[in-house]
Amino acid sequence: MDFRFDIVTDYMPFFLKGMGITIGVSLAGVLIGLILGLFIALGKMSSNRWIRLPFNIYINIFRGTPLLVQLLIIHFGVVPLFMSPSNPLVSLVIGLSLNAAAYIAEIFRAGIQSIDRGQMEAARSLGMTRVQAMKLVILPQAVKRVIPPLGNEFIVLLKESSLGSVLAAPELMYWGRAAAGQYIRVWEPYITVALIYLVLTLSLTYLMNYVERRLNTDDQR
Amino acid sequence: MINVKNLKKSFGDNEVLKDISLHVSTQEVVVVIGPSGSGKSTFIRCLNMLEEVNGGQVLIDGKDLTDKKTNINEVRTDVGMVFQHFNLFPHKTILENITLAPMNVRGLKKAEAEEKARTLLAKVGLAEKAAAYPDSLSGGQKQRVAIARALAMEPKVMLFDEPTSALDPEMVGEVLEVMKQLAKDGMTMIVVTHEMGFAREVGDRVIFMDNGYIVEQNEPKALFDAPQHERTKSFLSKVL
Ligand SMILES: Nc1ncnc2c1ncn2[C@@H]1O[C@H](COP(=O)(O)OP(=O)(O)OP(=O)(O)O)[C@@H](O)[C@H]1O
Ligand SMILES: [Mg+2]
Repeated sequence: MDFRFDIVTDYMPFFLKGMGITIGVSLAGVLIGLILGLFIALGKMSSNRWIRLPFNIYINIFRGTPLLVQLLIIHFGVVPLFMSPSNPLVSLVIGLSLNAAAYIAEIFRAGIQSIDRGQMEAARSLGMTRVQAMKLVILPQAVKRVIPPLGNEFIVLLKESSLGSVLAAPELMYWGRAAAGQYIRVWEPYITVALIYLVLTLSLTYLMNYVERRLNTDDQR
Repeated sequence: MINVKNLKKSFGDNEVLKDISLHVSTQEVVVVIGPSGSGKSTFIRCLNMLEEVNGGQVLIDGKDLTDKKTNINEVRTDVGMVFQHFNLFPHKTILENITLAPMNVRGLKKAEAEEKARTLLAKVGLAEKAAAYPDSLSGGQKQRVAIARALAMEPKVMLFDEPTSALDPEMVGEVLEVMKQLAKDGMTMIVVTHEMGFAREVGDRVIFMDNGYIVEQNEPKALFDAPQHERTKSFLSKVL
Protein backbone atom coordinates (compact mmCIF):
# COMPACT_ATOMS: atom_id res chain seq x y z
CA MET A 1 0.00 0.00 0.00
CA ASP A 2 1.34 3.41 -0.83
CA PHE A 3 0.65 5.94 1.88
CA ARG A 4 0.52 9.44 0.41
CA PHE A 5 2.05 11.69 3.04
CA ASP A 6 1.51 14.69 0.78
CA ILE A 7 -2.22 14.47 1.49
CA VAL A 8 -1.52 14.59 5.20
CA THR A 9 0.82 17.55 4.89
CA ASP A 10 -1.47 19.39 2.47
CA TYR A 11 -4.38 19.10 4.84
CA MET A 12 -2.48 19.51 8.08
CA PRO A 13 -3.39 23.21 8.54
CA PHE A 14 -7.07 22.27 8.25
CA PHE A 15 -6.69 19.30 10.59
CA LEU A 16 -5.05 21.56 13.17
CA LYS A 17 -7.74 24.19 12.78
CA GLY A 18 -10.36 21.43 13.14
CA MET A 19 -8.59 20.11 16.20
CA GLY A 20 -8.81 23.55 17.78
CA ILE A 21 -12.52 23.63 17.13
CA THR A 22 -12.98 20.08 18.42
CA ILE A 23 -11.26 21.08 21.65
CA GLY A 24 -13.25 24.30 21.81
CA VAL A 25 -16.71 22.77 21.32
CA SER A 26 -15.95 19.88 23.71
CA LEU A 27 -14.73 22.27 26.37
CA ALA A 28 -17.77 24.51 25.91
CA GLY A 29 -20.01 21.44 26.02
CA VAL A 30 -18.50 20.19 29.25
CA LEU A 31 -18.54 23.60 30.94
CA ILE A 32 -22.15 24.36 30.04
CA GLY A 33 -23.00 20.73 30.80
CA LEU A 34 -21.46 21.08 34.27
CA ILE A 35 -23.62 24.07 35.16
CA LEU A 36 -26.82 22.60 33.71
CA GLY A 37 -25.97 19.18 35.11
CA LEU A 38 -25.60 20.44 38.67
CA PHE A 39 -28.91 22.23 38.38
CA ILE A 40 -30.62 19.13 36.98
CA ALA A 41 -29.07 16.87 39.62
CA LEU A 42 -30.35 19.10 42.43
CA GLY A 43 -33.77 19.21 40.77
CA LYS A 44 -33.86 15.46 40.45
CA MET A 45 -33.14 15.13 44.16
CA SER A 46 -36.01 17.36 45.20
CA SER A 47 -38.30 15.87 47.79
CA ASN A 48 -41.26 16.98 45.69
CA ARG A 49 -42.12 14.41 43.01
CA TRP A 50 -43.67 17.04 40.72
CA ILE A 51 -40.45 19.03 40.72
CA ARG A 52 -38.47 15.82 40.12
CA LEU A 53 -40.61 14.81 37.16
CA PRO A 54 -39.38 17.26 34.48
CA PHE A 55 -35.74 16.62 35.42
CA ASN A 56 -36.31 12.88 35.16
CA ILE A 57 -37.91 13.29 31.77
CA TYR A 58 -35.02 15.44 30.58
CA ILE A 59 -32.41 12.91 31.68
CA ASN A 60 -34.29 9.99 30.15
CA ILE A 61 -34.76 11.72 26.81
CA PHE A 62 -31.16 12.85 26.43
CA ARG A 63 -29.65 9.59 27.61
CA GLY A 64 -32.17 7.44 25.83
CA THR A 65 -31.86 8.78 22.28
CA PRO A 66 -28.82 8.92 19.97
CA LEU A 67 -26.79 12.11 20.07
CA LEU A 68 -26.85 12.17 16.25
CA VAL A 69 -30.65 12.38 16.29
CA GLN A 70 -30.52 15.11 18.92
CA LEU A 71 -28.02 17.09 16.86
CA LEU A 72 -30.10 16.84 13.68
CA ILE A 73 -33.26 17.95 15.48
CA ILE A 74 -31.45 20.82 17.15
CA HIS A 75 -29.65 21.98 14.02
CA PHE A 76 -32.47 21.67 11.50
CA GLY A 77 -35.46 22.08 13.82
CA VAL A 78 -34.76 24.11 16.93
CA VAL A 79 -31.91 26.50 16.15
CA PRO A 80 -33.57 27.85 12.93
CA LEU A 81 -36.37 29.15 15.17
CA PHE A 82 -33.89 31.56 16.71
CA MET A 83 -31.32 32.20 14.02
CA SER A 84 -31.22 31.99 10.26
CA PRO A 85 -29.26 30.56 8.73
CA SER A 86 -28.46 28.32 11.67
CA ASN A 87 -24.79 28.09 12.50
CA PRO A 88 -23.58 24.47 12.76
CA LEU A 89 -21.05 25.32 15.48
CA VAL A 90 -23.78 26.87 17.61
CA SER A 91 -25.97 23.82 17.07
CA LEU A 92 -23.12 21.48 17.91
CA VAL A 93 -22.29 23.26 21.16
CA ILE A 94 -25.97 23.31 22.16
CA GLY A 95 -26.38 19.62 21.36
CA LEU A 96 -23.22 18.55 23.16
CA SER A 97 -24.07 20.70 26.20
CA LEU A 98 -27.62 19.44 26.56
CA ASN A 99 -26.54 15.84 26.08
CA ALA A 100 -23.59 16.12 28.47
CA ALA A 101 -25.83 17.83 31.05
CA ALA A 102 -27.97 14.69 31.31
CA TYR A 103 -24.97 12.43 31.93
CA ILE A 104 -23.25 14.92 34.22
CA ALA A 105 -26.45 15.32 36.25
CA GLU A 106 -26.41 11.60 36.96
CA ILE A 107 -22.72 11.76 37.87
CA PHE A 108 -23.41 14.60 40.31
CA ARG A 109 -26.43 12.85 41.78
CA ALA A 110 -24.48 9.66 42.40
CA GLY A 111 -21.64 11.70 43.94
CA ILE A 112 -23.92 13.68 46.22
CA GLN A 113 -25.86 10.61 47.31
CA SER A 114 -22.65 8.77 48.09
CA ILE A 115 -22.00 11.25 50.92
CA ASP A 116 -23.13 9.84 54.26
CA ARG A 117 -26.60 10.98 55.31
CA GLY A 118 -25.20 11.98 58.69
CA GLN A 119 -23.33 14.86 57.06
CA MET A 120 -26.54 16.55 55.96
CA GLU A 121 -28.14 15.83 59.34
CA ALA A 122 -25.21 17.30 61.26
CA ALA A 123 -25.25 20.42 59.09
CA ARG A 124 -29.01 20.86 59.44
CA SER A 125 -28.88 20.25 63.19
CA LEU A 126 -26.52 23.23 63.43
CA GLY A 127 -29.17 25.42 61.85
CA MET A 128 -27.89 25.49 58.27
CA THR A 129 -30.47 25.67 55.52
CA ARG A 130 -30.56 22.92 52.90
CA VAL A 131 -28.76 25.19 50.47
CA GLN A 132 -26.04 26.10 52.98
CA ALA A 133 -25.54 22.44 53.89
CA MET A 134 -25.21 21.54 50.21
CA LYS A 135 -22.78 24.35 49.48
CA LEU A 136 -20.62 24.12 52.59
CA VAL A 137 -20.71 20.44 53.49
CA ILE A 138 -22.02 18.10 50.81
CA LEU A 139 -20.76 19.49 47.49
CA PRO A 140 -17.14 20.04 48.60
CA GLN A 141 -17.00 16.36 49.56
CA ALA A 142 -18.86 15.20 46.46
CA VAL A 143 -16.50 17.06 44.10
CA LYS A 144 -13.66 14.64 44.75
CA ARG A 145 -15.82 11.64 44.00
CA VAL A 146 -17.17 13.03 40.72
CA ILE A 147 -13.81 14.03 39.19
CA PRO A 148 -13.01 10.58 37.70
CA PRO A 149 -16.43 10.01 36.07
CA LEU A 150 -16.46 13.61 34.85
CA GLY A 151 -13.11 12.99 33.18
CA ASN A 152 -14.61 10.02 31.39
CA GLU A 153 -17.56 12.09 30.28
CA PHE A 154 -15.21 14.72 28.86
CA ILE A 155 -13.40 12.06 26.82
CA VAL A 156 -16.69 10.64 25.54
CA LEU A 157 -17.84 14.12 24.59
CA LEU A 158 -14.63 14.90 22.75
CA LYS A 159 -15.05 11.82 20.59
CA GLU A 160 -18.75 12.39 20.04
CA SER A 161 -18.12 15.95 18.87
CA SER A 162 -17.05 14.24 15.60
CA LEU A 163 -20.76 13.91 14.85
CA GLY A 164 -20.62 17.65 14.20
CA SER A 165 -19.22 16.76 10.75
CA VAL A 166 -22.74 15.70 9.78
CA LEU A 167 -23.88 19.27 10.41
CA ALA A 168 -20.85 20.58 8.48
CA ALA A 169 -19.42 22.07 11.63
CA PRO A 170 -15.73 22.56 10.74
CA GLU A 171 -14.29 20.38 13.50
CA LEU A 172 -11.62 17.73 13.09
CA MET A 173 -13.78 14.98 11.60
CA TYR A 174 -15.29 17.41 9.10
CA TRP A 175 -11.83 18.11 7.65
CA GLY A 176 -11.09 14.40 7.61
CA ARG A 177 -14.16 13.80 5.49
CA ALA A 178 -13.33 16.82 3.32
CA ALA A 179 -9.87 15.44 2.61
CA ALA A 180 -11.28 11.98 1.92
CA GLY A 181 -13.74 13.48 -0.56
CA GLN A 182 -11.23 15.65 -2.32
CA TYR A 183 -8.57 12.97 -2.86
CA ILE A 184 -10.93 10.00 -2.97
CA ARG A 185 -8.65 8.31 -0.40
CA VAL A 186 -9.59 6.52 2.77
CA TRP A 187 -6.47 5.69 4.74
CA GLU A 188 -4.49 8.94 4.83
CA PRO A 189 -7.18 11.35 6.08
CA TYR A 190 -8.97 8.96 8.45
CA ILE A 191 -5.83 7.50 10.01
CA THR A 192 -4.49 11.01 10.56
CA VAL A 193 -7.74 12.18 12.12
CA ALA A 194 -7.90 9.06 14.29
CA LEU A 195 -4.36 9.65 15.52
CA ILE A 196 -5.16 13.26 16.42
CA TYR A 197 -8.22 12.12 18.41
CA LEU A 198 -6.08 9.52 20.13
CA VAL A 199 -3.48 12.12 21.13
CA LEU A 200 -6.25 14.33 22.51
CA THR A 201 -7.98 11.60 24.54
CA LEU A 202 -4.71 10.14 25.86
CA SER A 203 -3.56 13.61 26.95
CA LEU A 204 -6.86 14.05 28.72
CA THR A 205 -6.48 10.68 30.44
CA TYR A 206 -3.06 11.67 31.72
CA LEU A 207 -4.36 15.03 32.84
CA MET A 208 -7.22 13.39 34.74
CA ASN A 209 -4.89 10.90 36.41
CA TYR A 210 -2.69 13.77 37.48
CA VAL A 211 -5.64 15.72 38.94
CA GLU A 212 -6.85 12.61 40.77
CA ARG A 213 -3.44 11.99 42.27
CA ARG A 214 -3.20 15.62 43.37
CA LEU A 215 -6.61 15.43 45.02
CA ASN A 216 -5.64 12.25 46.81
CA THR A 217 -2.37 13.58 48.19
CA ASP A 218 -4.09 16.81 49.21
CA ASP A 219 -6.37 14.57 51.12
CA GLN A 220 -4.22 12.86 53.69
CA ARG A 221 -6.84 13.81 56.19
CA MET B 1 -37.90 24.36 78.12
CA ILE B 2 -38.97 21.28 76.19
CA ASN B 3 -42.58 20.26 76.06
CA VAL B 4 -43.69 17.26 74.07
CA LYS B 5 -47.39 16.55 73.77
CA ASN B 6 -48.86 13.32 72.40
CA LEU B 7 -46.08 12.88 69.88
CA LYS B 8 -46.70 10.27 67.18
CA LYS B 9 -44.34 9.06 64.49
CA SER B 10 -44.63 6.27 61.94
CA PHE B 11 -42.38 4.95 59.20
CA GLY B 12 -44.93 3.62 56.74
CA ASP B 13 -47.15 1.21 58.69
CA ASN B 14 -44.55 0.91 61.44
CA GLU B 15 -45.75 3.11 64.29
CA VAL B 16 -42.54 3.83 66.15
CA LEU B 17 -43.68 6.54 68.60
CA LYS B 18 -47.21 5.92 69.77
CA ASP B 19 -48.04 8.62 72.28
CA ILE B 20 -45.15 10.39 73.92
CA SER B 21 -45.59 13.29 76.30
CA LEU B 22 -42.70 14.77 78.21
CA HIS B 23 -41.79 17.99 79.94
CA VAL B 24 -38.16 18.91 80.49
CA SER B 25 -37.28 21.93 82.61
CA THR B 26 -34.36 24.29 82.14
CA GLN B 27 -31.07 22.80 83.41
CA GLU B 28 -32.61 19.38 83.77
CA VAL B 29 -30.69 16.31 82.58
CA VAL B 30 -32.99 13.61 81.29
CA VAL B 31 -31.57 10.21 80.40
CA VAL B 32 -33.50 7.98 78.02
CA ILE B 33 -32.98 4.22 78.19
CA GLY B 34 -34.74 1.29 76.56
CA PRO B 35 -34.23 -1.77 74.38
CA SER B 36 -33.03 -1.56 70.79
CA GLY B 37 -35.77 -0.51 68.41
CA SER B 38 -37.92 1.02 71.13
CA GLY B 39 -37.84 4.41 69.37
CA LYS B 40 -35.25 6.31 71.43
CA SER B 41 -33.35 7.67 68.44
CA THR B 42 -36.53 8.48 66.59
CA PHE B 43 -37.82 10.37 69.61
CA ILE B 44 -34.72 12.47 70.12
CA ARG B 45 -34.53 13.21 66.36
CA CYS B 46 -38.11 14.49 66.48
CA LEU B 47 -36.99 17.10 69.00
CA ASN B 48 -35.16 19.03 66.28
CA MET B 49 -37.28 17.81 63.37
CA LEU B 50 -34.66 15.59 61.79
CA GLU B 51 -37.71 13.35 61.56
CA GLU B 52 -41.04 14.73 60.49
CA VAL B 53 -43.68 13.95 63.09
CA ASN B 54 -47.13 12.58 62.30
CA GLY B 55 -49.03 13.95 65.27
CA GLY B 56 -48.80 15.88 68.50
CA GLN B 57 -46.66 18.87 69.36
CA VAL B 58 -43.04 19.60 70.17
CA LEU B 59 -42.43 22.92 71.90
CA ILE B 60 -38.91 24.16 72.48
CA ASP B 61 -38.61 27.33 74.50
CA GLY B 62 -42.24 28.08 73.65
CA LYS B 63 -41.85 27.60 69.89
CA ASP B 64 -43.99 24.89 68.33
CA LEU B 65 -41.82 22.93 65.89
CA THR B 66 -44.81 21.20 64.36
CA ASP B 67 -46.26 24.57 63.34
CA LYS B 68 -45.55 25.19 59.66
CA LYS B 69 -44.94 28.87 60.38
CA THR B 70 -42.06 28.18 62.78
CA ASN B 71 -38.63 28.80 61.26
CA ILE B 72 -37.11 25.41 61.90
CA ASN B 73 -33.55 26.51 61.10
CA GLU B 74 -33.76 29.16 63.76
CA VAL B 75 -35.03 26.70 66.37
CA ARG B 76 -32.26 24.26 65.47
CA THR B 77 -29.61 26.84 66.36
CA ASP B 78 -30.93 26.57 69.92
CA VAL B 79 -30.87 22.76 69.93
CA GLY B 80 -27.45 21.15 69.77
CA MET B 81 -27.23 17.54 68.66
CA VAL B 82 -24.50 14.97 69.15
CA PHE B 83 -24.68 11.81 67.07
CA GLN B 84 -23.53 8.27 67.70
CA HIS B 85 -21.23 8.42 64.68
CA PHE B 86 -19.94 11.98 65.31
CA ASN B 87 -20.66 13.19 61.77
CA LEU B 88 -17.74 15.59 61.74
CA PHE B 89 -17.09 17.27 58.39
CA PRO B 90 -14.07 15.34 57.03
CA HIS B 91 -13.04 18.06 54.55
CA LYS B 92 -12.67 20.68 57.26
CA THR B 93 -10.12 21.05 60.03
CA ILE B 94 -11.25 20.68 63.62
CA LEU B 95 -11.30 24.45 64.01
CA GLU B 96 -13.29 24.88 60.77
CA ASN B 97 -15.73 22.19 61.88
CA ILE B 98 -16.52 24.32 64.89
CA THR B 99 -16.55 27.74 63.21
CA LEU B 100 -18.54 26.75 60.10
CA ALA B 101 -22.03 27.15 61.51
CA PRO B 102 -21.36 30.16 63.78
CA MET B 103 -19.91 32.04 60.79
CA ASN B 104 -22.50 31.01 58.21
CA VAL B 105 -25.61 30.76 60.35
CA ARG B 106 -25.00 33.20 63.19
CA GLY B 107 -22.97 35.56 61.02
CA LEU B 108 -19.99 35.73 63.35
CA LYS B 109 -16.73 37.22 62.09
CA LYS B 110 -13.96 34.72 61.47
CA ALA B 111 -11.72 35.98 64.26
CA GLU B 112 -14.57 35.98 66.71
CA ALA B 113 -15.70 32.49 65.74
CA GLU B 114 -12.18 31.12 65.95
CA GLU B 115 -11.56 32.59 69.34
CA LYS B 116 -14.72 31.00 70.62
CA ALA B 117 -13.84 27.70 68.96
CA ARG B 118 -10.44 27.66 70.65
CA THR B 119 -12.03 28.30 74.00
CA LEU B 120 -14.41 25.40 73.45
CA LEU B 121 -11.61 23.13 72.24
CA ALA B 122 -9.68 23.91 75.39
CA LYS B 123 -12.75 23.09 77.40
CA VAL B 124 -13.04 19.62 75.85
CA GLY B 125 -9.28 19.16 76.21
CA LEU B 126 -8.33 19.31 72.54
CA ALA B 127 -6.75 22.74 72.14
CA GLU B 128 -3.74 21.28 70.34
CA LYS B 129 -5.91 19.62 67.65
CA ALA B 130 -7.30 22.82 66.10
CA ALA B 131 -5.43 22.41 62.80
CA ALA B 132 -5.87 18.63 62.51
CA TYR B 133 -8.42 16.90 60.31
CA PRO B 134 -11.10 14.61 61.79
CA ASP B 135 -9.60 11.44 60.28
CA SER B 136 -6.49 11.84 62.41
CA LEU B 137 -8.47 11.81 65.66
CA SER B 138 -9.52 8.89 67.84
CA GLY B 139 -13.21 8.20 68.35
CA GLY B 140 -13.29 9.80 71.76
CA GLN B 141 -11.55 12.90 70.44
CA LYS B 142 -13.97 13.11 67.51
CA GLN B 143 -16.94 12.98 69.81
CA ARG B 144 -15.51 15.70 72.02
CA VAL B 145 -15.04 17.88 68.93
CA ALA B 146 -18.63 17.13 67.94
CA ILE B 147 -19.77 18.34 71.35
CA ALA B 148 -17.69 21.51 70.98
CA ARG B 149 -19.13 22.04 67.50
CA ALA B 150 -22.67 21.87 68.86
CA LEU B 151 -21.83 24.14 71.79
CA ALA B 152 -20.38 26.78 69.46
CA MET B 153 -23.94 27.69 68.48
CA GLU B 154 -24.67 28.43 72.14
CA PRO B 155 -27.69 26.13 72.23
CA LYS B 156 -30.23 26.17 75.02
CA VAL B 157 -30.64 22.41 74.87
CA MET B 158 -28.29 19.58 73.97
CA LEU B 159 -29.47 16.27 72.57
CA PHE B 160 -27.20 13.21 72.69
CA ASP B 161 -28.05 10.02 70.80
CA GLU B 162 -25.85 7.25 72.19
CA PRO B 163 -22.74 9.45 72.14
CA THR B 164 -20.46 6.69 73.46
CA SER B 165 -21.87 3.60 71.71
CA ALA B 166 -19.46 3.74 68.78
CA LEU B 167 -16.40 4.20 71.00
CA ASP B 168 -13.77 1.77 72.21
CA PRO B 169 -14.37 1.16 75.93
CA GLU B 170 -11.27 3.06 77.02
CA MET B 171 -12.56 6.23 75.32
CA VAL B 172 -16.02 6.26 76.83
CA GLY B 173 -14.85 7.93 80.03
CA GLU B 174 -13.35 11.03 78.41
CA VAL B 175 -16.61 11.79 76.57
CA LEU B 176 -18.81 11.18 79.60
CA GLU B 177 -16.52 13.47 81.58
CA VAL B 178 -17.16 16.32 79.15
CA MET B 179 -20.90 15.69 79.32
CA LYS B 180 -20.81 15.60 83.09
CA GLN B 181 -19.08 18.98 83.13
CA LEU B 182 -21.69 20.32 80.74
CA ALA B 183 -24.46 19.18 83.06
CA LYS B 184 -22.70 20.83 85.97
CA ASP B 185 -22.54 24.08 84.01
CA GLY B 186 -26.32 23.98 83.86
CA MET B 187 -27.01 22.79 80.32
CA THR B 188 -30.43 21.31 79.66
CA MET B 189 -29.75 17.86 78.26
CA ILE B 190 -31.55 14.85 76.88
CA VAL B 191 -29.26 11.85 76.63
CA VAL B 192 -30.01 8.48 75.05
CA THR B 193 -27.44 6.09 76.45
CA HIS B 194 -26.67 2.61 77.69
CA GLU B 195 -24.28 4.01 80.29
CA MET B 196 -26.26 3.32 83.44
CA GLY B 197 -23.50 4.68 85.66
CA PHE B 198 -23.76 8.03 83.89
CA ALA B 199 -27.56 7.98 84.16
CA ARG B 200 -27.35 7.35 87.87
CA GLU B 201 -24.71 9.94 88.58
CA VAL B 202 -25.64 12.79 86.26
CA GLY B 203 -29.31 12.28 85.41
CA ASP B 204 -32.03 14.20 87.19
CA ARG B 205 -34.56 11.85 85.72
CA VAL B 206 -34.44 8.57 83.82
CA ILE B 207 -37.01 7.62 81.24
CA PHE B 208 -37.58 4.04 80.22
CA MET B 209 -38.97 3.69 76.71
CA ASP B 210 -40.32 0.52 75.19
CA ASN B 211 -42.26 -0.15 72.04
CA GLY B 212 -43.01 3.50 71.31
CA TYR B 213 -44.22 4.46 74.77
CA ILE B 214 -42.65 5.96 77.86
CA VAL B 215 -43.25 3.05 80.20
CA GLU B 216 -41.83 4.53 83.34
CA GLN B 217 -39.89 7.55 84.56
CA ASN B 218 -38.39 8.49 87.86
CA GLU B 219 -35.31 9.77 89.63
CA PRO B 220 -32.39 7.53 88.73
CA LYS B 221 -32.05 5.95 92.13
CA ALA B 222 -35.73 5.13 92.40
CA LEU B 223 -35.97 3.81 88.85
CA PHE B 224 -32.88 1.62 89.05
CA ASP B 225 -33.40 0.35 92.59
CA ALA B 226 -37.16 -0.04 92.61
CA PRO B 227 -38.61 -0.25 89.10
CA GLN B 228 -42.40 -0.44 89.07
CA HIS B 229 -43.15 -2.11 85.74
CA GLU B 230 -42.37 -5.66 84.68
CA ARG B 231 -40.84 -4.47 81.41
CA THR B 232 -38.54 -2.06 83.21
CA LYS B 233 -37.48 -4.81 85.60
CA SER B 234 -36.69 -7.28 82.87
CA PHE B 235 -34.79 -4.65 80.85
CA LEU B 236 -32.74 -3.53 83.84
CA SER B 237 -31.99 -7.09 84.87
CA LYS B 238 -30.38 -7.57 81.44
CA VAL B 239 -28.28 -4.41 81.38
CA LEU B 240 -27.26 -3.81 84.99
N1 LIG C 1 -35.60 6.06 58.61
C1 LIG C 1 -36.34 4.99 59.01
N2 LIG C 1 -37.14 4.37 58.13
C2 LIG C 1 -37.89 3.31 58.50
N3 LIG C 1 -37.90 2.79 59.73
C3 LIG C 1 -37.11 3.36 60.66
C4 LIG C 1 -36.29 4.49 60.35
N4 LIG C 1 -35.62 4.85 61.45
C5 LIG C 1 -36.01 3.99 62.42
N5 LIG C 1 -36.90 3.10 61.96
C6 LIG C 1 -37.55 2.04 62.73
O1 LIG C 1 -38.08 2.61 63.89
C7 LIG C 1 -37.92 1.74 64.99
C8 LIG C 1 -37.26 2.48 66.13
O2 LIG C 1 -35.95 2.83 65.74
P1 LIG C 1 -34.99 3.71 66.64
O3 LIG C 1 -33.75 3.87 65.88
O4 LIG C 1 -35.70 4.94 67.06
O5 LIG C 1 -34.76 2.77 67.88
P2 LIG C 1 -33.72 2.94 69.06
O6 LIG C 1 -34.52 2.84 70.31
O7 LIG C 1 -32.91 4.14 68.86
O8 LIG C 1 -32.83 1.63 68.93
P3 LIG C 1 -31.25 1.46 69.14
O9 LIG C 1 -31.02 1.27 70.60
O10 LIG C 1 -30.96 0.21 68.36
O11 LIG C 1 -30.59 2.66 68.60
C9 LIG C 1 -37.16 0.53 64.50
O12 LIG C 1 -38.11 -0.50 64.27
C10 LIG C 1 -36.57 0.99 63.20
O13 LIG C 1 -36.50 -0.08 62.30
MG1 LIG D 1 -30.85 4.54 68.41
